[in-house]
Amino acid sequence: MIAIEHLARSFKAASPGWGRSLKRGPALVVHAVRDVNFAAPDGRITGLLGPNGAGKTTTLRMLAGLIAPDAGRVTVDGIDVAARPLDALAHMGVLSDSRGLYTRLTARENIVYYGALQGMARDAAHQRAEDLARMFDMFALLERRTDGFSQGERMKTALARALVHDPANIVLDEPTNGLDVVATRALRESLRFLRSPEGGGKCIVFSTHIMQEVERLCDSVVVVSQGRSVAAGTVAELLERTGQEDFEEAFVHLAFAHASTMDGSVPA
Amino acid sequence: MRFSSVAIAVYRKEIIDALRDRRTMLIVLVTGVLMGPLVLIALSSFIASLESRAEQREVYVAGLAYGPSLRNYFERQTWAVKEAPADFEAQLRSSKFAEPVVVLPEDFETAILHGDTPVVEVVFDSANKQSATAAPRVMQLLGGFSRERVGLSLALRGVALALLEPLQVEERDLASTQTRAIKITGLLPFFVIMAVLYGALNAALDTTAGERERGSLEPLVMNPANSLALVVGKWGAVASVSMVVALLNCFSFLPAQWLLRSDTLQAMFQFGPREALMFLLVLLPFAAALSAVLMGVAIRCKTFKEAQASTTFLILGVSLVPLMTVFDQSGGAAWHLWVPALAQNTLMIQVLKGEDFTPLQLAIPLLVCVVLTVGGLWFISHHLRRAAVK
Repeated sequence: MIAIEHLARSFKAASPGWGRSLKRGPALVVHAVRDVNFAAPDGRITGLLGPNGAGKTTTLRMLAGLIAPDAGRVTVDGIDVAARPLDALAHMGVLSDSRGLYTRLTARENIVYYGALQGMARDAAHQRAEDLARMFDMFALLERRTDGFSQGERMKTALARALVHDPANIVLDEPTNGLDVVATRALRESLRFLRSPEGGGKCIVFSTHIMQEVERLCDSVVVVSQGRSVAAGTVAELLERTGQEDFEEAFVHLAFAHASTMDGSVPA
Repeated sequence: MRFSSVAIAVYRKEIIDALRDRRTMLIVLVTGVLMGPLVLIALSSFIASLESRAEQREVYVAGLAYGPSLRNYFERQTWAVKEAPADFEAQLRSSKFAEPVVVLPEDFETAILHGDTPVVEVVFDSANKQSATAAPRVMQLLGGFSRERVGLSLALRGVALALLEPLQVEERDLASTQTRAIKITGLLPFFVIMAVLYGALNAALDTTAGERERGSLEPLVMNPANSLALVVGKWGAVASVSMVVALLNCFSFLPAQWLLRSDTLQAMFQFGPREALMFLLVLLPFAAALSAVLMGVAIRCKTFKEAQASTTFLILGVSLVPLMTVFDQSGGAAWHLWVPALAQNTLMIQVLKGEDFTPLQLAIPLLVCVVLTVGGLWFISHHLRRAAVK
């Protein structure tokens, strides 16, 4: 179970540099996340849907304890991430935006290495690597060095690596980026299995900007726009709330109508 | 999770990674195994060529026909006398000819018989090192001829030769064989330091900036592992590679001695297992500190290339600092031991001179290396998470 309450974070952007005078201009403040709230229960897939730059990745990085929030609170299975980041990370498997692999190691070595970092015994990590290879249909890849892997093969390995310790909570940042149709469908199946009672009834949070992903996979959706969570509910609830039949129209209405009230512009 | 088990897991992975990295292994092989012997063999070839030329005892004269008495003297001293080539000046300038040339004037013999002082030139080119090195030997030979002429003239007049030499001057060189050898072998510590530096460089950059560039640092720090434990594991692997280079380098001098072509260098270069171990004692803390500092510089860089550019100043510093001993003729100052690289160079030269360290001489560089290592590790662990998301 993941709960996020009133999360906010801003960054200082680089100032324009030396201008005509020798004085540097004041540093610009970018409000990446202003007020994000949601709760992701166990056994459900929660989609974080928002346009580029909405603050999804920053929110997930705060959830993973990589960035400290300016305000708000994140808890994972009741553990406060800010107070006990390592304990919280032990309850999570995170597939972040950066999913670089060690190219001189095999897929199995990549997975087992993360198992060791999670405190697993060597034999248990090897066994788990094989179980995950079966789940993600990547048994043939296991003993190959990851150098030269396709985008889909890399994603599968990175996902297996993130799930090696069988975490109760799974956080995925735009996992279908760069994947072809077959790989995307395979990933979708895997996530459905992990959500099911047979798969462990995991709490899955994933961010995306692709409507179809959300429609086909998510049990509930949180719409994020300009650093705020502007709506939450099932796809059907959001359609009903906006009075739309098409989910893309509903999303534009929710995300950009809110944006227009913030900056005074009118959505197309 | 325990600190040590994380550090060991990271160490194991980084060592496997380094062993499979051809670039790292090539550097280890070239700098660790081959560089020491190659430098030693190059030095020995240079000295052997000087020695063989000295043994040849040949003197080149331009206008040999003008000085039969001089020729007679040279031959009595068992020197082979040869006529210099006609264009010897041009050949000396272009380094095609490597011997100094004695130039005799046409009236040499007449002047000698009349008791005049003919001008004899010894022509060499100071830019042509071989001719310049041989010139003093020829000057000495001509000096012998002069002394003989003076001795004969005085003897004919019944004057004792001892009057010419009111002082009997004898040289007594206090330097041991090994100390004299330092003029030749003093360059070796510099090459050893460079080997340790280049041994650490690639691995240090790959585990920090390389990991950022590949996008694998962010997932790494999302494991429930203490940052310092991750850094200690990485540093341990980098320092190990560097220490292996130091170990191979030091012990490669032992078999390399068998290949020495110069008997003089073989006699002067006394490098046994004891010297190799003393070198290691100096180098291991240095390898540890250098690894931490290189990683500290590289962790702030987003790409391997950027890290290479950023570490240039550090590499330049480590390369130039030991050269201070070449320009500093005052002998080792006490503060040298406080400067990394310079301290190690000073101590290794001391080993080559056959001198032992005092405990303080070892303790000062060790303290500096410990401070640099601890400071470096703290800095990297402090920046690790921040670097992962930038």
